[in-house]
Amino acid sequence: MKKQRPYPPQLSLRFFRWFCHPKLRDSIEGDLMELYEERAKEKGKRKADIRFVLDVLLLFRPGIIKPTEGYQNLNTYDMYKNYFVTAWRNVVRKKSSAAINVFGLTLGITCALIIFALVSYHLSFDNFHHDSDRIYRFVTEEHRDQVDYEASVPPVFGKAFREDYTFAEKVARLCTRTNSLITIEKGEISEKYTDQIAFAEPAFFEIFNFPLVAGTLDQFAKPNTAIITERVAKKYFGNEIPLGKTFRFYNNFDLTVTGVLKDIPVNTDLRSEIYFSYSTIKQYSEWYAADDAWGGITSDIQTFTRLQPGVDPLEVEQVLPAYVKKYRANSKNVHHYKLQPLTDVHFNAKYGGVMDMTTISILSLVGFLLVFTACLNFINLATAQAVTRAREVGVRKVLGGFRSQLFWQFTIETGLIVLLATLLAVTVAHNTMPYINSFFDLQISFNLFSDLKLSGFLVALIFTVTFFSGAYPGIILSGFKPVQALKGKLKAVQSGSFNLRRSLIVAQFTIAQLLLIGLIVMVFQMKYFGNTDMGFNHEAVVIIPTGSNDEKLNSLKDQFSVVPKVESVTACFAPPASNTNQWSTSVLYDNRSEAETFSISYKGGDENYLATFGLELIAGRNLTTSDTVREFIVNEKFVAKLGLSSPEDVLGKQLGVNGNSWKGPIVGVVKDFHDQSFHSDIEPIFITTRKSTYNVFAVKINMKDAANTLTALEKIWSNMYPEQIYKYDFLDDQIASFYQTEQRMMTVIQVFACIAIIIGALGLYGLVSFMAVQKTKEIGIRKVLGGDVAQILWIFGKEFTVLVAVAFLIAAPVGWYVMSQWLSNYVFKVDISIWMFVLELFIVAIVVMVTVGYRSVKAVVANPVESLRSE
Amino acid sequence: MKKYQLGEFEEVVMLTVGILYDEAYGVSIKKEIESRLKRGVSVGALQTALRRLEDKGYLKSREGEATEERAGRPKKYFSITAYGKKAMEYTKSTRDELWSAIPKVALDIKIVSN
Repeated sequence: MKKQRPYPPQLSLRFFRWFCHPKLRDSIEGDLMELYEERAKEKGKRKADIRFVLDVLLLFRPGIIKPTEGYQNLNTYDMYKNYFVTAWRNVVRKKSSAAINVFGLTLGITCALIIFALVSYHLSFDNFHHDSDRIYRFVTEEHRDQVDYEASVPPVFGKAFREDYTFAEKVARLCTRTNSLITIEKGEISEKYTDQIAFAEPAFFEIFNFPLVAGTLDQFAKPNTAIITERVAKKYFGNEIPLGKTFRFYNNFDLTVTGVLKDIPVNTDLRSEIYFSYSTIKQYSEWYAADDAWGGITSDIQTFTRLQPGVDPLEVEQVLPAYVKKYRANSKNVHHYKLQPLTDVHFNAKYGGVMDMTTISILSLVGFLLVFTACLNFINLATAQAVTRAREVGVRKVLGGFRSQLFWQFTIETGLIVLLATLLAVTVAHNTMPYINSFFDLQISFNLFSDLKLSGFLVALIFTVTFFSGAYPGIILSGFKPVQALKGKLKAVQSGSFNLRRSLIVAQFTIAQLLLIGLIVMVFQMKYFGNTDMGFNHEAVVIIPTGSNDEKLNSLKDQFSVVPKVESVTACFAPPASNTNQWSTSVLYDNRSEAETFSISYKGGDENYLATFGLELIAGRNLTTSDTVREFIVNEKFVAKLGLSSPEDVLGKQLGVNGNSWKGPIVGVVKDFHDQSFHSDIEPIFITTRKSTYNVFAVKINMKDAANTLTALEKIWSNMYPEQIYKYDFLDDQIASFYQTEQRMMTVIQVFACIAIIIGALGLYGLVSFMAVQKTKEIGIRKVLGGDVAQILWIFGKEFTVLVAVAFLIAAPVGWYVMSQWLSNYVFKVDISIWMFVLELFIVAIVVMVTVGYRSVKAVVANPVESLRSE
Repeated sequence: MKKYQLGEFEEVVMLTVGILYDEAYGVSIKKEIESRLKRGVSVGALQTALRRLEDKGYLKSREGEATEERAGRPKKYFSITAYGKKAMEYTKSTRDELWSAIPKVALDIKIVSN
C-alpha cells in the first residue's frame, strides 16, 4: 500500500491557486509542494504547515497575483465582429420573432420618447428667468363655507405691498386681456386684429427674462406706450421699423410702440406678446387703477414679486393679514393672501395650472410600464428560443469561450435589436410629434441633435432596455453545460423556468388590463357628460359677443329677433354654464347685518334669459324689462343654502350683492341647473338685469337652414360694428370644451391601452409558439390516439385562461381603486359597475383567443406523422 | 542613464542561475542561495525576482518534468539569455570601474575615534 503523503493546509493552497497568475501557478505550486514535502520530512508536519502558509502569504504580491482585467492580451476585435455577424444571422434566420421583438420594442420606446418629450417640456416651464427660485405670485384663498383659490389678489395689492414692505426686490402687476381688438390705421384702410394684450408695470421685465431687442424700458412708465414682440411687430407693421408706430385698443385709446421684445419662448405661461404700460390701465378700467380697489379680485390682474435674497416667503405671508384688517374691515375675514412659487404656477390646478403633477406622474408611469412590458416580451421570446442556440453555446464553450464572453455576446445581440428598434422609434416619434402638438395645443420640438436632454435620455434608454431585456436571457444561455448542449439533451426547463415566463405574461396583461379598465371607466364617464341633462337648453344656441353696452345693444337685439328662424334672443353676462365669465360675490339676504357664509354666482340677463335657455321657474315670476338692477331670480340651491324648505319663502325678500350696491327683491326661483362643468357642484346663483355687464348675445335658432340664419346675424352685427371683428360660437361646443382635458386624456389612454394590448398579444404569441414547439410530440401522440382537435386546443386554452384570469384578479382591484380616485374629481359621476369589468374581460378574452387560437390551431391541425417522424 | 537594470537580489539570482546551469528551478535556486550566502529566501521574493528577470529578457524558462514529490507539477527551469549575460557583464564592469577609481589612500585610512 502506498504511504499517505502529508498534505499542506488546504485553505492556503486554495487561496494561492485563486490569486496566483495562471501562467505561474503550476510551477510555483510545484516548488511549494517540493519544499513542503522536504520540510515535512525534516521538521515535521506542523512546522512545514506554518512555513507553507507563510510562503503563500509572502507570494501574495504584485507580479504573482493575477491581473484583474484578464491576462490574455489577445486581439479580440475579430471576436466582436463575429458577435455582430452571429447576431445578424440570427435576426435574419428567425424573421418572425425578430420582427415581434423589434415591433414591440419600437412601440415601447416610441411611447417612452414621446412621453419624455412631453414631460420635460412641461417641467421646463418658466425655468429661464434669473433667480426664478425667488419669484412668487401673490394668490388668494377665499375661506367661506368652502375654500376657493384665486390666482390673483386685489388690483391695488401690488402697489401697496411695494410701498409698505421691503421684502421684495421687485413687484410687478400684470393685467391680461385675451381676444382684444387692435386696430391699425394704414392710410385709408384700417387693419383689425384680435390678440391677447397685457398691461404690465416696468418691473415685470426686470423680474422676468424677456429681453428687449430694440428701444428701452425708460419710456414704458409713461401712459399709452407699448412693447411688442418681434413676431407681432412683423404681423402689424411688416418690415417697417416698429418703434414710434401707433395702434388703437378697442377703438378707445392709442398706443405708441417704444420697445421690441425678443420673441417669447414656447415654455412659458406668460403668453402675452403685446404689453401696454400699466399707467395706461386707467383708460381701460377706473376700478383696476383705483387706490382703494380692495373690494374684490379679478382674475385679469396677477401680481408677481421677486423677493430679496434670503427672505422666507412664510415670513412675508405673516404680514399680509394686516391688509385684510386694514382695508377689508367690513367684509368678513375671507381673504387669505399667499405666495405661490413660480415653479408651482404651471402645475397647480387649484390656481389654474395647466398640467398638474398627477397627470405628469401618470404619464411617466405609463411610459415606464410600456417600455417594461416590451422588455418582458423580449425576455420571454429570447428564453423561449434559448434551446435553439444550445449547439452554438456548446461549441463556443468547447473552443474556450468564457461564460462572461458568451454573456456579452448575447447582450450585444440584444443591443443590436434594441438599437434597430430605437432607430425606428425615433423616426416614428419624430413624425408623430406634429400631430401630438396640434392635438394637445403644444409646441414641443423633437430634435435629437439639439436637445441634449432628449439624446441623453435616448442613450440611457438604449442601455437600460438592453441590459434589462438582455441580462436574463444572457445568463440563461451562457449557463448551458457544454456536454449536454452539444448532445442536444437540453431540456426546456434549463432554458429559464416556465413559471418565470408565465409571470411575465401575467405582468404584461395586468398592465394592459389596468389601462383598459381605466379607459372603459373614462368612456362611461364621458358618455355620462354627454347624456346627462344640464338642466337648461344648450342646443342650437349661438353665442355672439356684444360689441358695446350702450343703446346699440338694444337695437341689435331687436334686429336679431326679427331674423327668420330666430326663436329667441337674450343679451346676458354669460350662458347658464360658462367657463370664461364667472363672477361670484358675497350676499346679504333679507337685510341681515352680516353676509351669508357662502358666495353667490352672477348670471346676468334680460327678460328673455329664462326663455332662451329653457330655465324653469318653480316659484314667482320672470324679471321685468330693465337696464339696471331691479329684481332678482335665485335658484333652489340658494334656498337650500339658506336652510329654507320652500322656494316661496324667499319671494319678496330683499337681496344685496356686490358689496350691497345691487339691491332689490327676489321675485322668482328657478329649478337648479348645472352652472359649471360636472367637476363641480351646483352653486347658489342669482339672475338679474344689468345691461353694462352683458358680454354676449345668446340667439336660439332653428337649425333648419342654419347657414342662412348665421349669415344674416353676421350681417346685422357687422353693420352695427364695422370697426370690430365678428365671431360666434355654438353653446354646445363651448360646453364640450369644458371636458377637453378629459377628452384628450381619454384619447391618450386609448392609444396607450391599445399599445399595451398589442405588446401583450405579441408576448402571448411568443409563448404560444414556444409551447407549440414543445408540445409537438404530445399533440402528435394525442391525435394518433384519437384525441379530437377541440380537446387538444384546450391544452393551450386552459393555460392562458388561467394566466389572464390571474392578471385580471390583480388588475381589477387596482383599477377600481385608481378609477374611483379619478372619479372623485367629479361631483357628478357614474358608478363603477361590475359590467365595466365584464366588458373589459370580454375585450381581453377576444384578443387572447385570436392570438392563441391562431397559433395553436396551426399546431393542432398539423399532420401527426410529421411531428412524430422527427426523431 | 542606466543601460541595464539589475538590483542586488536580482544579480544574486542571475549568478545562482548561472552556477546551477542546467538545474536551475525554483527550489534549487532557493537552496543554492541559502547555502552560499547564508541568508533566508522566501518563495515569494524569489519568484517575483525570477518573473521580473524573465520579463526584462535576462532569463528564459522551459517546462521540465513533473515528479511525484511535486504533486505532479512541472518544474520550470531557468537559463541566462545572451542579453542577460550582457547585463551581468555590464554590472560587473561598472563595479570594477568604480573599485579601480577609489584612491588607495581612501581604503587605507584608519578611523581613529576617541
